[in-house]
Amino acid sequence: MPTEALPYTCTFCGCLCDDLEIRAEGGRVVEAVGACGRERPYLIGIETTPGPPPPCRLDGVETTAEEAVRAAARILADAKAPLVVGLGRATNEAARQAIALADRIGAAIEVGDAASAWPRVVAMQRSGSIGATLGEVKARADVVVFWGCDPATTHPRHFERYSRVGRDGRRAIVLDAGETATSRLADAFLAVDPERELDLLLTLRALVREVPLDPHRVEAATGHGLAALQDLAETLQGARYGAWFMGASAGRGSIELAEARRQAVTALVRDLARKTRFVSIGLGEAGNAHGVEGVLAWQTGFTPGADLGAGFPESWPGESSASDRLARGLFDAALVVGGPAPAIPVGKPWIFLGDADDEASARATAALPAGAPGIDDSGTFTRVDGVSLPVRALRPSRTPGAAEWLARLNEALGGATS
Amino acid sequence: MSTLLIRGGRIVDPANDVDSEGDVWIRDGRVVPAPADPDARADRTIDARGYVVMPGGVDVHSHIAGSKVNAARIMRPEERRGDARAMRRWRDFRSGTIGSVPSSFSTGYLYGGLGYTTAVDAAIPPLGARAAHAEFGDVPLVDKAMLVLMGNNHLVMEAVKSKDRAAVERTVAWLLDSARGFGVKAVNPGGVEQWKQGGARIAGWDDRVDGFDVSPREIVVALAEAVDALGLPHPLHFHGLNLGIAGNWEATLEGMKALQGRRVHMAHIQFHSYGGSPDAPADFSSQVGPLAEFVNAHAGISVDVGQVMFGDTTSMTADGPTGHYLANLTGRKWYNHDVEQEDGCGVSPIEYQDRNFVHAIQWAVGLEWFLRVDDPWRVALSTDHPNGASFRTYPDVIALLMDRNLRDETLARLPEKARERTGLKDLAREYTLSEIAIVTRAGPARILGLAHKGHLGPGADGDVTIYAPDDDRRRMFALPRWVVKGGEVVVDDGELRAAPIGRTLFAEVDVDPAARAALSARLGEAASFHPTNFGLGLEDLSEPLGVRTGARP
Ligand code: SF4
Ligand SMILES: [Zn+2]
Repeated sequence: MPTEALPYTCTFCGCLCDDLEIRAEGGRVVEAVGACGRERPYLIGIETTPGPPPPCRLDGVETTAEEAVRAAARILADAKAPLVVGLGRATNEAARQAIALADRIGAAIEVGDAASAWPRVVAMQRSGSIGATLGEVKARADVVVFWGCDPATTHPRHFERYSRVGRDGRRAIVLDAGETATSRLADAFLAVDPERELDLLLTLRALVREVPLDPHRVEAATGHGLAALQDLAETLQGARYGAWFMGASAGRGSIELAEARRQAVTALVRDLARKTRFVSIGLGEAGNAHGVEGVLAWQTGFTPGADLGAGFPESWPGESSASDRLARGLFDAALVVGGPAPAIPVGKPWIFLGDADDEASARATAALPAGAPGIDDSGTFTRVDGVSLPVRALRPSRTPGAAEWLARLNEALGGATS
Repeated sequence: MSTLLIRGGRIVDPANDVDSEGDVWIRDGRVVPAPADPDARADRTIDARGYVVMPGGVDVHSHIAGSKVNAARIMRPEERRGDARAMRRWRDFRSGTIGSVPSSFSTGYLYGGLGYTTAVDAAIPPLGARAAHAEFGDVPLVDKAMLVLMGNNHLVMEAVKSKDRAAVERTVAWLLDSARGFGVKAVNPGGVEQWKQGGARIAGWDDRVDGFDVSPREIVVALAEAVDALGLPHPLHFHGLNLGIAGNWEATLEGMKALQGRRVHMAHIQFHSYGGSPDAPADFSSQVGPLAEFVNAHAGISVDVGQVMFGDTTSMTADGPTGHYLANLTGRKWYNHDVEQEDGCGVSPIEYQDRNFVHAIQWAVGLEWFLRVDDPWRVALSTDHPNGASFRTYPDVIALLMDRNLRDETLARLPEKARERTGLKDLAREYTLSEIAIVTRAGPARILGLAHKGHLGPGADGDVTIYAPDDDRRRMFALPRWVVKGGEVVVDDGELRAAPIGRTLFAEVDVDPAARAALSARLGEAASFHPTNFGLGLEDLSEPLGVRTGARP
């Protein structure tokens, strides 16, 4: 339980603020010191004493844990083409167990909603990435760029904790489709047509590389005059330590171009890094997709998805990922770790492991109730910059955590995995 | 109580001066004296007659966990695709992928398969320790330990600046304890911080680090003193200035001299032993001679080699500026990650080619090191996995050490200019089996200060590797007949039989509570996380095993 000595970690957005102080009275949270305006109302009022344990269910009907585990294990053991999905809010500890299970049953596994993770990972596989922990930005950055994102709205404490906008004389520049809460607090704003994001990135890169450019073509491609972009390039190169922040899809343009945009950002930052120090970092998303991706990578060598069906890990981005197979019905059983659970066609058995109050618990063939990390469950989450932090429960758990359920399933399927 | 008897093998146990036929008894995971009763029977007996019996291998410098290792995995799917680059799921053993940076379970299986039972990750930033320890929990068959990066740590540099030895000591103890590390590592001391600041490059021992007003010399001396004052089992583990750069040998020599006789371990020394100058790449040459001479004359210095082997691999370093330099040199993809308070990492693919003049010299420089250090106890076999090559090439390295003809064959196909720029062709020395046992287990264990490893005397870990003698040394060391971990047979005739997860070794240091509170508060001001979440507890480690520190005998 959080005590005065142990701070509380909020998992509500990618900031993963780990410095909250929870005060409880009369069995409820009455104050969450340090929580932002978005998070505070959610935390206040949460019961800190557990209610009665929720039941396991088979086809919606209450049953014992033993029965439910046995049935779930049978579903998985009988499957020829199983999937393991969800996991976007799982702890790193639960992820280790989930991947062990996927390995044992030869499943295709994928982390969370990987639509934006695949382009990020593939871009990294093509050109690398140049980043830093957020404390480096906090300590060193004098130029901070927000590219197609609005942390003032989505990541309320980002300015205070990491990007320190408005302090230490640092310059904040927003490049976005239109004015936002972030742009109103920034030193400079440049409107970017989402369809021309890639052109703008490539132009900036050319300017940093000091390639002579035709002003008319620049204007036609980006919608901006050469002089304005030259100014921007000067500011970037003039940074002592620059930080380029972006959201999950690296801009607001189409997801199909997300990988190209990421590569363009990395190339730009690499060119800037020849002249000064520059990094790019995501804002991060709620939950623990980054942590689970990391665990999947260390256990299999691949991320954010791997197919273990052949008896060893394989990963071919763009071809039959778990979410793909889910959408096309190419599976015969599924384990969904955490909500929201996808639609599963009738006739395909599936297991839901997560909040007993989630509608999926009634829908799944087998439902194992597990509390949410940060409320009922503890473990480790990893911030977008790779920093792993403890996530602590608010109250004693009424049920086993996801990691423990998964360990029981692994055991039911044939003993401990070494 | 379970006992294992390894009967009648040729025991090569240089730490106990043994090279003769005999029995090894293991009870409850430890080597024990042979029972007095000549009729005593063991629960299991391995008939090792005709085989060579050695302690389990110990790797003093490798990279097997943490953010840089995982970034390399993610970044390089091209080297882990397909059946031949994967390990299949088998019985209860986990599947995985190989490449130059194998996935976690495969790392353990492959190390174990070579008869290695201990591996030290040589570069974990304090802030990366939580993730690296979690990953250790998925690396079976080997005992693990981590060296904690401190050469660019802000609080360390502040303490060094204050010229208060006790303050440095307190900071080192606190960092080591917080990370649950085993030893202290310094990488390009001050130079990484300077690069992060975008300042002028640190190239000499008396250059000043902006903002901290300390020199690399002051940092490294202070760290070495603190390591000794705390009585850590392993000396300061040191990666000096100008890694990989032509002409760096002089800085390497000056770095060793700067320590003025204090004990130190020089990491991947091969990468620090080059003649020539950065402006005249054609002058690149080996300068092992004068450096090895200095090492030979100073008993407190040990080295691991960081041997380069030809082929495709991945370079990874906590030395950010070097990572940047290398990536620009090859023009290949580059992963860089700055970590607050201390270093970070750079990762980039690299292919060492025998046709390449510089690579050919690097290969020869490594071998020169093995052959020019007179005392094998002070030179440990490493490839700086995966930097010079994967640890999977160790059997090839061993074969080269034992066989001059093999070296000459390779030398013959290297560029002629490269052959002339090293002294390898004149070195006739061939390692004996006992010397191989020293550089692969007994020596590294002694260098690490681990009294229970690297030998087969009573009290030693029951980690044993049993080889079938073979004129083809590569084959002999690539495929041990049996591997025993903690008294349990884990590999039998090339087949994995069990995969105990292994222990995590960490140094038990005392941290004064007032110092802890003060340092924690200072960290809290600068860091992007709550300082309470910085320190790790034993529950964050996989099978923790504390190693005592303090006054050294
Ligand atoms: S900024 Fe994000 S992580 Fe921090 S308290 Fe608000 S919602 Fe939680
Ligand atoms: Zn190394």
